[in-house]
Amino acid sequence: MNAAQHFYARESRREFLKSSGLGIGGLGLGSVLNQNLFADHAATRRPHFRPRAKHVIYLHMVGAPSQLDLFSHKPELTKRNGEKCPDHMFKGKRLAFIRQHPLLLGSRFQFNRHGQGGLALCEHLPQLGTVADELCLVQSIRTEHFNHAPAQLFMHTGFGRFGRPGIGSWINYGLGSENNDLPGYVVMITGSVAGAGNSLWGSGFLPTVHQGIEFRSNGDPVLFLSNPKGIGRDDRREIVDGINFLNRQSFDAVGDPEINTRIAQYEMAFRMQASVPELMDTSTESADTHTMYGTQPGKSSFANNCLLARRLVERGVRFVQLFDQGWDHHSGVFNSIPRKAKQIDQPVAALIKDLKQRGLLDETLIILGAEFGRTPMLQGNSNNGAAGNVGRDHHKEGFSMMLAGGGVKGGITYGDTDELGYQAIDHPMHLHDMNATILHLLGIDHEKLTYKYQGRDFRLTDVHGHVQDGIIA
Amino acid sequence: MPFNQFVVEQIAGDLLPNATPSQRIATGFHRTPTCNVEAGVHPEENRVNQVFDRVNTTGTVFLGTTLECAQCHDHKYDPFSIKDYYSLFAFFNNTPLEVKQNGNSVTFEFYGPTMDLPITTDQQKALDTLTAQKKRLDQQLAKLKTDSSAQQANWEKTTLTALQNAPEWSVLGIKQFSASGNPQHELQPDGSVVVTGPNPDKSTYTLRTNTNLPQITAIRLEALTHPSMHKGGPGRNKSPKENPNFIVNEFKLKVDGQKIAFASVTASFSQTRWHVKGSIDGNPATGWAINPEFGKPATAIYKLTKPLALKPGASLEFSIAQNYGGGRTIGRPRLSAMNGDPGATNLADNIAAILKKTKRSRQETKQLAEYFQKENPLLKSTETELAATNKKIAAIKPPTTLVMVEEDKPRETFIMQRGEYLNPGAQVTATTPGILHGMSADLPRNRLGFAKWLVAPQNPLLSRVTVNRWWAEIMGRGIVSSEEDFGTQSEPPTHPALLDWLSVEFIERGWSMRRIHKLIVMSATYRQSSRVTPATQAADAPNKWHARTPRLRMSAEMVRDNALTISGLLSTKMHGPPVYPPQPGGIWRHVGRNAPKYVAATDEDRFRRGVYVVWRRGAPYVSFTNFDAPDRGACVVRRPRTNTPLQALTLLNDEAYVEMAMAFAHRITEINEATVDSRIQFAYRSALSREARAAEINYLKPLLTRRLVYFQKNPKAATDLVNNVKGWKAPQGADPAELAAWFYLANILLNLDETITKS
Repeated sequence: MNAAQHFYARESRREFLKSSGLGIGGLGLGSVLNQNLFADHAATRRPHFRPRAKHVIYLHMVGAPSQLDLFSHKPELTKRNGEKCPDHMFKGKRLAFIRQHPLLLGSRFQFNRHGQGGLALCEHLPQLGTVADELCLVQSIRTEHFNHAPAQLFMHTGFGRFGRPGIGSWINYGLGSENNDLPGYVVMITGSVAGAGNSLWGSGFLPTVHQGIEFRSNGDPVLFLSNPKGIGRDDRREIVDGINFLNRQSFDAVGDPEINTRIAQYEMAFRMQASVPELMDTSTESADTHTMYGTQPGKSSFANNCLLARRLVERGVRFVQLFDQGWDHHSGVFNSIPRKAKQIDQPVAALIKDLKQRGLLDETLIILGAEFGRTPMLQGNSNNGAAGNVGRDHHKEGFSMMLAGGGVKGGITYGDTDELGYQAIDHPMHLHDMNATILHLLGIDHEKLTYKYQGRDFRLTDVHGHVQDGIIA
Repeated sequence: MPFNQFVVEQIAGDLLPNATPSQRIATGFHRTPTCNVEAGVHPEENRVNQVFDRVNTTGTVFLGTTLECAQCHDHKYDPFSIKDYYSLFAFFNNTPLEVKQNGNSVTFEFYGPTMDLPITTDQQKALDTLTAQKKRLDQQLAKLKTDSSAQQANWEKTTLTALQNAPEWSVLGIKQFSASGNPQHELQPDGSVVVTGPNPDKSTYTLRTNTNLPQITAIRLEALTHPSMHKGGPGRNKSPKENPNFIVNEFKLKVDGQKIAFASVTASFSQTRWHVKGSIDGNPATGWAINPEFGKPATAIYKLTKPLALKPGASLEFSIAQNYGGGRTIGRPRLSAMNGDPGATNLADNIAAILKKTKRSRQETKQLAEYFQKENPLLKSTETELAATNKKIAAIKPPTTLVMVEEDKPRETFIMQRGEYLNPGAQVTATTPGILHGMSADLPRNRLGFAKWLVAPQNPLLSRVTVNRWWAEIMGRGIVSSEEDFGTQSEPPTHPALLDWLSVEFIERGWSMRRIHKLIVMSATYRQSSRVTPATQAADAPNKWHARTPRLRMSAEMVRDNALTISGLLSTKMHGPPVYPPQPGGIWRHVGRNAPKYVAATDEDRFRRGVYVVWRRGAPYVSFTNFDAPDRGACVVRRPRTNTPLQALTLLNDEAYVEMAMAFAHRITEINEATVDSRIQFAYRSALSREARAAEINYLKPLLTRRLVYFQKNPKAATDLVNNVKGWKAPQGADPAELAAWFYLANILLNLDETITKS
């Protein structure tokens, strides 16, 4: 053993971190003597208090579905359908599209009551009805933005412009991952992603290791995962062995611990080449499971991503984010909602059931939401026209999100908007409050999870956010 | 260019007196903020966000100041008030909107100010070709116009002849009529035949006559009315109550026993699906009918392919086949022939009148010449071609770039309470923060004045912040490690005297960037060994005190440039629009309706330096972001430097790096020295700028030999590897087994920590 190796072997990870003089934020900059990337911070940070959830599955319905046609039952709005909306809903308000005093638009769907809590859900969500006692419907969400890109950024990063880390990055920064072979933050997408693009799962000013890694359903699930043609697994092993042998020679010569990290990363990359395809291969799931989710091995769909989300959480991945495009119903809302609801109803219900039967629901927080909601007012000219022409505009004053598992109360409705579904009046819950509550459920004090950048300690919730105890079990 | 001038041009090049193109281009620095063009966006909100970005970026980059905090309230730590913030904001507030609504639609377009750049070399090439073509056409046209006077004289003569021989219809009196099914008939004095008596189901008429016309050019068939027919005809129908339609399946002409072809046919009216064309197409199932145009004559004109000269008394025989059934036949046919040039009838009346005159006025002569030139086919085609060429020349637009412009009418600026643009507070004027050095009274209160204030010698921040940033780039860590923040919350400088000295040197050496870089890299500090010893590690692991020179993993762009250089592929081509090196499919799907397609370059462009790689902030180049390149959504001074498995996967498997490895393998096998040892040494010198050590050779040599033997025994395995590298084609005569074996070594060397590390 040469001097450098001796030194390396002697110095424990904890001591090294202490002597290196680096704070948490500096870890990504300096030498990290970890065995793999994705778990590197697990040992360095602990939750601030007892966590209720260990994992998050965040389902973002991109474009923003109409809460009034899915989750928020407003009989008064239906009754007054076609009336000119009251002045306070239009005068002095800024809306994305509506420019003329609009009419009220009631839902054309029936709402049915489910479960012991009598949760009202739209007729097009029958499967979710079967798990109603697990659901926590928050009906009073508010946000700051009514254009997609800024609102999407705000939802995830707490800031309406580019440059800040998202909630998945914050949580990974705070808690690290539990899996040696997979990233702590995985993103999957159905359809294209609008507006803010990759920045929605970027790490902002946090070290890049905390960014979300997209698992793709076409081509390599992780970019650059597969070997070039003509290079098999044994061939790759030989090459990685060669790289690591020579890197060890290098370490002996210059003693830079960063080299050992790189050796570990090449081993990790090699393991990922096997573990990620194994993860993505759902053919090993039972026929019952596939029936429950409505999935088929090898196909890509939102349902498949729900099943993969369960597989990821099962393997210890901290934060899984699913984006599903196609909810921006400026027109044709009554045609589109049944079609889109059908795509999510069964798989989301299956995900909840599946996690429950595996004993994972208690420790997995499921969130279903969007960057904003939709207006109770009609966008378009005629309410008597064909169903295809009727739509709703973007709305930030009051909308819904659905939570399940992970320490939230099941079978409840929390907060509400006024009788016309416009303004959150009962227990209004700003997205900052939601983010504070999500962190809380994971055992993190949102005021203490900070990162120093540009001379100040940044937080996901900026200077806002109140944990909403009312939804915590 | 001295750095102070550079800064002035970046911020306010457009406002310099007689600004040069490059000074205007420099202001593109502040045109990089993101711009939201999604439907339903509010343009003023978008503009305000862009100004925020400009102010904050200016503070971060040039002043090391975190102004952003003062956007909503007075700065918590540093002496900047919200009023200071919006007073600075006022310098940048005179910019136009950059998105506008498309009419009344819900879509918005980006339309911020741009400037034209000089055109590209490719455009210049195209322009040269087109200009040459235009010159040739101009000359050709001039010649045609000169030649045309002779041609015109000729044309006048023939046209006049044709005119005098004006076309007219001559009725051909029918001399003999016969018909299948034997209906009766009566020859009429007007030359027509009235067909009477029992109406056969189907009937083919044969009509014969003679003529003394010298020439015929067309035949007219008339189906006339007669009171003997229901509604007057013009068709006979078997059942008298039904519509008097007829169907002519085929119409034929023989002259002196010879079949004559028709070129075309037109009719006064054709029934749907029974167009008169059907009467000369040789198909007995098609034909000419006229429902519902009953009770009036119907006419068809059959044009001959060319004028037919006739002998006196020539015999004409017409045949009219009517085989539809139901007695749908013509009740009263009449035939005429046209004599003369039908083309002459195309002549406009006024021109014909001029042509007939023997004495013409000057005006008339000119009119006639112009008419002729317009009708001349060669002249016409040349003129068309010239017009097209001119259009193409006009279409060669210079590329544009985004620049700053100042609105003529300055905007008023108000404090935005809580940072909300719809929540204005007190009005402010453009002023620099009171805590910093004063702004000279003779400077204008605009961006240019601000830029000059920034580079004033009284400002210690600009040079300190700048030399600190360069120091950090070279040494891996700034003297002030919080490079973007020199405020009260910053990390204290490790070497304050050094920082001061460097920044004064920078100013005193005429703001020369080169001199400061040289000074730093030639310092004893930088030229130390980078070896990490237990002693240095124990005393100073992050190397704050510079006991050794740093070992730093290269930046994303440099990792790629370096590998391109090693593989011998690097293109040093400079300038021009961004390049699109290969990347996996589907990356750009994230972006909205303004998304262009990512078409990977297949030429030299894919080997150009990283600085030229196209950047889309919503979907940046993955191989760069994997190496910590920020997405550029907001200003980032300090990049993290991580070490991840995704970096390993990128260097191992990204098709760009696979191609580089194969090219490197080829480069190694191409050298003159053929021994494995000397090739390994060459590879090491290329990749690591040093000789391979004995232990390294001892490891690599058996690996290579093993692989070479394997590939020689398994040529298919070799070609599978060599022939499947995207973008790369094995040069002729290259031995696949050799290439495949050396690919292993090339792939290994390009992945070494030492290869991607600056030490």
